[in-house]
Amino acid sequence: MAKDPLAEAGFYFDELNKLRVLEPDVSQKTSELKEECKEFVDKIGQFQKIVGGLIELVDELAKEAETEKMKAIGARNLLKSVAKQREAQQQQLQALIAEKKMQLERYRIEYEALSKVESEQNEFIDQFILQNQSVATTQGVQSHHAPLSFMH
Amino acid sequence: MRLKTSLLKEPKHILSKICVGWTTADELYSCSEDHQILKWNLLTSETSLVVKLPEDIYPVDLHWFPKTVGGKKQTQAEIFVLTSTDGKFHLVSKMGRIEKSVEAHKGAVLAGRWNYDGTALITAGEDGQIKIWSKSGMLRSTLASQGSPVYSVAWGPDSDRILYTSGRQLVIKPLQPSAKVIQWKAHDGIVLKVDWNSVNDLILSGGEDCKYKVWDSFGRLLYSSSSHDYPITSLSWAPDGEVFAMGSFNTLRLCDKTGWSYALEKPNTGSLFTLAWSQHWEWKNFVITLTKRRTMQVRNVMNDAVDVLEFRDRVIKASLAFGHLVVATSLQCYVYKNWNTPLIFDLKEGTVSLILQAEKHFLLVDGAGLYTFSYEGRLISSPKFPGMRADILNSQVVSLSNDTIAIRDKSDEKVILLFDVLTGKALGEGKPIDSQVVEIALDQCGPSTERKIALVDKNRDLYLTSVRHLGREPKICKIGSMVHSMAWNDAANILCGIQDNQLTVWYYPSAVFTDKELLPKTLYIKDGSDFSRAPHILNYVGTKVMLRQGDGSLVCSSVPPYPALLHTYSTSARWEDALRLCRFAKDKSLWACLAGMAVANRELTTAEMAYAAIGELPRVQYINFIKEQPSKESSLAHMLLFSGQVQEAETTLLQAGLIYQAIQVNIDLFNWERALELAVKHKTHVDTVLAYREKFLQKCGRKETNKRFLQYAEGVEVDWEKIQAKIEMELSKEREKAANASVRSSVAFRR
Repeated sequence: MAKDPLAEAGFYFDELNKLRVLEPDVSQKTSELKEECKEFVDKIGQFQKIVGGLIELVDELAKEAETEKMKAIGARNLLKSVAKQREAQQQQLQALIAEKKMQLERYRIEYEALSKVESEQNEFIDQFILQNQSVATTQGVQSHHAPLSFMH
Repeated sequence: MRLKTSLLKEPKHILSKICVGWTTADELYSCSEDHQILKWNLLTSETSLVVKLPEDIYPVDLHWFPKTVGGKKQTQAEIFVLTSTDGKFHLVSKMGRIEKSVEAHKGAVLAGRWNYDGTALITAGEDGQIKIWSKSGMLRSTLASQGSPVYSVAWGPDSDRILYTSGRQLVIKPLQPSAKVIQWKAHDGIVLKVDWNSVNDLILSGGEDCKYKVWDSFGRLLYSSSSHDYPITSLSWAPDGEVFAMGSFNTLRLCDKTGWSYALEKPNTGSLFTLAWSQHWEWKNFVITLTKRRTMQVRNVMNDAVDVLEFRDRVIKASLAFGHLVVATSLQCYVYKNWNTPLIFDLKEGTVSLILQAEKHFLLVDGAGLYTFSYEGRLISSPKFPGMRADILNSQVVSLSNDTIAIRDKSDEKVILLFDVLTGKALGEGKPIDSQVVEIALDQCGPSTERKIALVDKNRDLYLTSVRHLGREPKICKIGSMVHSMAWNDAANILCGIQDNQLTVWYYPSAVFTDKELLPKTLYIKDGSDFSRAPHILNYVGTKVMLRQGDGSLVCSSVPPYPALLHTYSTSARWEDALRLCRFAKDKSLWACLAGMAVANRELTTAEMAYAAIGELPRVQYINFIKEQPSKESSLAHMLLFSGQVQEAETTLLQAGLIYQAIQVNIDLFNWERALELAVKHKTHVDTVLAYREKFLQKCGRKETNKRFLQYAEGVEVDWEKIQAKIEMELSKEREKAANASVRSSVAFRR
């Protein structure tokens, strides 16, 4: 293969017969590299965009998770306090029940006393009628109304 | 009884409310840590800001100057004392102007209280000192000092003693330095609050051991509550001493003076605003319930008919008896006879503290005085007396009957003041009796001349005495002991009481004036096993006694109806019917009553039969002896002797000119000196007296030692025959006189 003197001097011609300092192969590769680099930058940019979106999304999620967590904690606390409230309420109700029970006991005693009075009065009425009869029979017919008269 | 709390949602204090004070029934002052004093009006539910205090005053306690002293209004009454955390107390006028600020203690002033007549102020501080100040805020003395803070202080009923807290102990200290100090351990935790009621002399204390206790003024425990969930932070008596309120965290409780609770309320940290009692009254077949603040429900138990009564203002007091309902609201007084048309009149002052009823009229007590009204709404009278403090009168120390009002004097508890209802004037001087009176009651029936008053003294002895008496000192007769509560019947003069935990009914208490030994026989005693601790009689209507037990339950007890009937017969002098009733009932106590009534009315035949029925033979004989007396005067005198009234008997005889009989009465009673004195004075029968005396001494086997008798024995010869003849002569003379008198009267009658 005969050596091109120009090539020896470092000059080349390309396909368009323009004088070049670089070898056509190298030149081609360089441009290829350039292309590839561009492509790479593009891709990186795209990637960055996607990643940014993702980060945003995750942030949002984190935020949401945080609020949910707070909510959960609040709810849990509420639940706990409800239990306490119930307890207090129960205590109050129980105190009221005790009060009512005492009142009931008082009413029971009152009722007993009243029924005792009732029985006493019934007894009295029975006795009264009995005595009245016996008095009436002994006193005869003309004074029949006499024993009752004083109760009028 | 129920507690009703209403919450007000309008401008509340921003910080917790610290202290409140009432001015009238409808006005309330309160102050709190936000430096504000607010005025609350209950009628309009309005709240207004009175004053905003300087930033450095944190109020702790508030107390109004006592409103009335001695029946008249004080011009100075419009101020209150406000204590604060910076160790000062301030006198503040009603308009909110701070009249005076006084440096009082190191550290906060925890309590400030006026005494009842408004002459002194006491303050207690964190530095453990208790100081007394004059009305104008000048330091009088430091009463006590101790190492620990004094949380609460209260005046005694007569403003002569104070009660204060000392750690777990309570201390009662008299103002006189020499008098004895009472101190006792009251609670297991620090005592936070005390109150002392001036009407019933009871002490309340509450502490960090979550209990409240009721004490009497000697430090004896009367009631101790069960343990609460939180310490007791506030306690307060109602002015009439019937109920008190207790406050703790989220808890409010209304209790009776015996300690059991009427009602419990658990308000949820709202500001507690008004208290209105829901109450009910019973009389015969009517039951009345206060359903709302302004509404009452009347229920006839016989036919279940229900009426609703509406009022314009808040109901403060009500009373139902003798067929009339009297209701006092904050502005007016309503009198109901039937349920549709009340009689309404305006009240001067809206703070009625007591209503008492009698058959013909009723008595209202408010802060300024006592007023009796007829059921037609007419003002009858308004009794007044020096040193009157109408605000502390309660039903135990005031009694009303158809013609008389009785009031126990507060300044001297041994004195009972009596007033005529119609004129409002005092009936004689209030005479002191032997011991302090704690309860009085007038009987409700019979003529005013025979009005009797029953009284219980400090030793719990029951006495009976008559109200109107001619000339002489009234006789006070003891008829019972260990009596804790008593009441007269509304329709007959029958007295019932709790004697030694037994229900005792005195069927005829006046028997004590005619025949003392008869009294125990007229008693009706019901076994006390039905009643638990400390029963208290509410009323005695018809044949029913209503009692309130120590635990608060109402108990009804019935009494036989016969004695009331017997009373009506005796007042209408139907002795035949009375005898028939006694024979029918076959009851010894009834016969004993009849005997007493008959003797009191000089109905000898009936009395003889009644005494025979209860087996009192000596009395029967004596009655026969009285019957055989030749003249009216003699029998009258012997009747008086029969009931133990020797003096009257003698006077009667002397007035009738029956000298010998008077002497003989004294001889029979071995009242030798008096017999001799009479004989010498009237120059007759000196020998008779000496003869009897000699006989008596001979029988006893003793010698004459009395100088007067020895002196007269010298000059007089004793001749029994002569004496007998003389006596015979006297008796025949009396007989003649009596016969003449009867002939004369019959002649006069024929003409």
